[in-house]
Amino acid sequence: MSSLPTAASYLSAVSEADARARAHGATPTSTPALSMSSSVTSSSEDTVLDESGVDVADGLSYPRVPPTSDQVFTTVHSEFGHCANEDYRYTSQHRAGTPYKSIPEQDPPYYILLTTYISYIIVICLGHVRDFVGKRFRRANYKHLLPWNGYAALNSDFDSFYTRRLKLRIDDCFSHPTTGVPGRTIVLLDRYSTDYNKTMVLTGTRTRALNISSYNYLGFAQGKGPCTAAVEAAVEKYGWSSGGTRLEAGNLDLHQQAEALVARFMGTEDALISSMGFATNSNIIPGLVGKGSLVISDELNHASIRFGVRLSGANVRMFKHNDMKSLENLLREVISQGQPKTHRPWKKILLIVEGLYSMEGTMANLPIIMALKKKYKFYVFVDEAHSVGAMGPRGRGVADYFGINPREIDILMGTFTKSFGAAGGYIAGNKEIIDRLRIQGHSFTYAEAMTPPVLTQIIASMASIMGVTMPKTPEKPSSPSLALLRSPEPAPVIPESEVIPGTAPASALPSWMPLVPSMIDGSDGKMRLRRLAFNTRYLNRGLRKLGFITYGTDDSPVVPLLLFHPGKMAVFSRMMRTRAVPIIIVVVAYPATPLVTSRVRFCLSAAHTKEDIDEVLRACDEIGNLLDLKHADGERWPVEEIIERAVELVRMPECP
Amino acid sequence: MSNSSQSLELLFTFLSRSYTTLETNFFKIPGSAVVARYVKSSHQNDPGRTLLEAILIIFAIRTLLQSRTRGDQSAKHFIQFDEKEIDELVDEWTPEPLAQPLSAHEQAELASVPVIVGPNGPKPKLASGKIVTNLASYNFTGLAGNEEIKVAALDTLKRFGLGSCGPPGFYGTQDVHIQLEKDIADFLGTEASIIYSQAFATISSVIPAFCKRGDIIVADRGVNFAIQKGLQISRCTIRWYDHNDMESLEHVLESVEKERQKRKSPLTRRFIVTEGIFDHDGAMSDLPKLVELKKKYKYRLILDETLSFGSVGRTGRGLTELYNVPASEVDMLVGSMATGLSSCGGFCAGSHVVVNHQRINGTSFVFSASMPALLTVAASEGINVLRNSPSILTTLQENVRAVRAILDRVDCIHIPSHPASAVIHLQIRWPTLQVPSAMTATPSSSSKSSRSNPLLVKPRDPPQFNVELEERLLQEVVDEALAQGVLITRAKRLRGQELIEVRPSVRLAVTAALSRKDCEKAAAVVKAAFVKVVGKRR
Ligand SMILES: Cc1ncc(COP(=O)(O)O)c(C=O)c1O
Repeated sequence: MSSLPTAASYLSAVSEADARARAHGATPTSTPALSMSSSVTSSSEDTVLDESGVDVADGLSYPRVPPTSDQVFTTVHSEFGHCANEDYRYTSQHRAGTPYKSIPEQDPPYYILLTTYISYIIVICLGHVRDFVGKRFRRANYKHLLPWNGYAALNSDFDSFYTRRLKLRIDDCFSHPTTGVPGRTIVLLDRYSTDYNKTMVLTGTRTRALNISSYNYLGFAQGKGPCTAAVEAAVEKYGWSSGGTRLEAGNLDLHQQAEALVARFMGTEDALISSMGFATNSNIIPGLVGKGSLVISDELNHASIRFGVRLSGANVRMFKHNDMKSLENLLREVISQGQPKTHRPWKKILLIVEGLYSMEGTMANLPIIMALKKKYKFYVFVDEAHSVGAMGPRGRGVADYFGINPREIDILMGTFTKSFGAAGGYIAGNKEIIDRLRIQGHSFTYAEAMTPPVLTQIIASMASIMGVTMPKTPEKPSSPSLALLRSPEPAPVIPESEVIPGTAPASALPSWMPLVPSMIDGSDGKMRLRRLAFNTRYLNRGLRKLGFITYGTDDSPVVPLLLFHPGKMAVFSRMMRTRAVPIIIVVVAYPATPLVTSRVRFCLSAAHTKEDIDEVLRACDEIGNLLDLKHADGERWPVEEIIERAVELVRMPECP
Repeated sequence: MSNSSQSLELLFTFLSRSYTTLETNFFKIPGSAVVARYVKSSHQNDPGRTLLEAILIIFAIRTLLQSRTRGDQSAKHFIQFDEKEIDELVDEWTPEPLAQPLSAHEQAELASVPVIVGPNGPKPKLASGKIVTNLASYNFTGLAGNEEIKVAALDTLKRFGLGSCGPPGFYGTQDVHIQLEKDIADFLGTEASIIYSQAFATISSVIPAFCKRGDIIVADRGVNFAIQKGLQISRCTIRWYDHNDMESLEHVLESVEKERQKRKSPLTRRFIVTEGIFDHDGAMSDLPKLVELKKKYKYRLILDETLSFGSVGRTGRGLTELYNVPASEVDMLVGSMATGLSSCGGFCAGSHVVVNHQRINGTSFVFSASMPALLTVAASEGINVLRNSPSILTTLQENVRAVRAILDRVDCIHIPSHPASAVIHLQIRWPTLQVPSAMTATPSSSSKSSRSNPLLVKPRDPPQFNVELEERLLQEVVDEALAQGVLITRAKRLRGQELIEVRPSVRLAVTAALSRKDCEKAAAVVKAAFVKVVGKRR
């Protein structure tokens, strides 16, 4: 904090570094050899410049420490932080031979619970008093909540009570408008309210804040970089419209390439793609189960899953979140009882769980689920919206994390909105099932197909994680820039036996898509995965060492920090946002969580640097002291010690 | 007799005595009088509220003792088994496969879908290498491929990247989204609008956001699949009226009102749900009549303009512009940026109250990431283009007329679509079966006065047709047209999942991006294909 470099001093340092690099004989725009480390690629001044119209002397746009001569970065620091230290890397992987367990959920002291209830009661009572008075003296304001002129209220005062009287009080913490890339930092459009949050007025000014809220796990939200270049090429070539549904006339070759690549990535036989993640669940589950089938659903499953299950007409039973004992008891009960009333055996039983729960930070206990599956013969559907890309040593999601063969899982569902910085969702599984879903799910028949720019972002980011097997006769290695300009003709098909396992053969990618060396050798993807894994463990463990109650596992990039009090949500959010280095966070409360466990949720990204996490820890430490949030048992470290010993903390097999 | 009444009396005195002791003791607690008064008055005012508060307190206690799993063991059909029996039952149970393999017919269906290589547009290239005239993809006003839009989209890409990486509530609302919502509202003339990231997922969230159990929806029998799913999720009381028949609608509205008066049921929310241009057959709603009826009977109107927005009206504003009805008369106007503006996503326009309600209650809005900025800007720019060049819509309508002029009077083709609709459905007209469409199919045996039952989605005299045969013939027509260089498609349906069986048809989507000559040529090819395939069977 003490030595914030000014823009000018930073730029001069960059140009010096540039000059030194030139003196060493490498031109800054040339592409170094494929084997070189990912973070050390080429450099130019525009890696720190962007044009979002905010003051750049905000402590976020420039790295604290200017790069040295051999550290050269291609990313824009405000989008994807510069971090060359190879110590700040880790691998997201389950330790073989240990059972999966999440951090035991600790209860806060009773006075916290009590005051939490009291604060809810006070707010509810106040709300009722205001409604009571308001309805008598300020009728006009209540008109839309009461029957009027023979119309029933669209949303009665009763139904909307929670929204009007509780949520509205802290509405400044939600739906904050932003602009620009939702990367490492994000630009907020400043706003204020003159009528107690009923309406918000934009001031016209902007604030850059450290973004620890977007689902940008691998940092692919970028306005500059190879993926963006690929999308740009796609818009030039394909435009931005698909023109209809997949089964009518919106079926592009790009769709087929993307589906084949997703299948290859997931390690399944086939995959299908749908243009919205939510709709992937809500439109496809009805094609999978129906009357006479049973869906067993974790009680905390996402709204889209519930939506889909409800449309399917199948029976639903829920089990306690991630409680495998409860699941097994339920399985024994439902299989022995059969269908309600008739006691006929179920046609099939589908277990739906999420790979990583976005409000809890917990993971599906896949090893036990797979063991139960053998015994009880149910089918498994894993929603990997948050885990795909973000977990596992190769970024392939929970199966990869636990080292389970993906083909043993019947349905792998996921979305592209998160790790891949795109939009939409996929379903991967064996060919028979996927083809059935193409015919019987709602998406292919009725929903608009995914657009070319989105498809390309998926293909490019996925290829970047996988690495690419180039054809046997490579373009002359002496001129690596040729790799950037691939010939427009389709690459010769590479025989399956020559494809490096887990990589994408160049012939599977669109021939016009520009490739860069860091994408081909997979170093870019690897760097992202390893940085995310480090950041994740660092923040999880750092917060616990500070004494906060958090949920989930250490390897979860979603980190919930428990606040309990509804009032503290607003204060926490506002204090973070108004710091010298503003930080934006997400607060969630009832009804998204149980009534008492209001929380803050952090979403980590590969784009964050260690210094960013330090900053978050310092901020949490200060605010946590002020708001009385540190209630966890266990050994505590002072914040500076945590920052000092970060690498050690991350590498410990168990956090003491 | 006297004995029992005596004991009853005893009981009552006991009850009243214990009540008074309870009361006096209660009032000894400081502050209790205030509480009692509050409970009393709020109870008088709204008994439901007392219940709510009681429930809240119970809920609080329950959460404390948290146990969120639901057991079913108390149900009366529960059979007790011991552990060994359960193990045996588990061993015995063999589930069906998760998915049945595709039949040969279904495989052929998947294989017949054309693959477009390169950009989709008026003259796309297919995987076979052939360049075809496209009368199948939605690109009414030719916005896909517009240069101005492309420049804006690429500029947005550089500033925003691609994805929004978050739902609207959590920093996923970008300035471009706010701008598009404003653009749509201004364009249509409503107070506000809200955008969803997939058109198909829009109305199935809009309907349940407003319509709850106990509310009444009066819906057209021919509504599209997305609406059907919205109705299913909403769980409200549904009454059906005959497809696009305003007389039938009025009759149903009348009967619902009568029923309500008879039962003296309380006032509930009531909605009419229908489409502007129907996805099933291209018929067009009579909007002025709809508005008149909804006002007369005090209903709210949910209008799905997925196919009419961006294709009819002087500048493409849809039905409201065509009929000169202010858009504010439609309570929830749902449309699609994917079909209407060649981008992606859907919207719902209406008053501030309607729109803000969805920001919290529209499931697929709240729980899904917002639209990519690039596509949002493409939609905004699309509106600009429509606004500034009304000639596009004129061209489109001319093309529609040109196509209709050729196909309208073909013996073996029946067109149920409205003459102004850019979506044209071509059904097979059989000479022997006189069932060209649902509406005119009135076999002589039934008396005119009898009507369909509003409780059932099935109309009284459903049209008769042979789905399998017609689909097969229409696919032959499609193949034949493709061989002649014209890309058309059958209207794809999930047979067996639609509420009523939809008559098979070939669906054309006319575009302003083709010249009139091209349209005429293509229509002539379609005509020839029909005559060749269907004509010879007549
Ligand atoms: C588990 C789960 N499934 C599905 C989705 C929906 O994905 P999308 O935002 O791409 O619509 C989400 C998004 O939050 C999710 O968390």
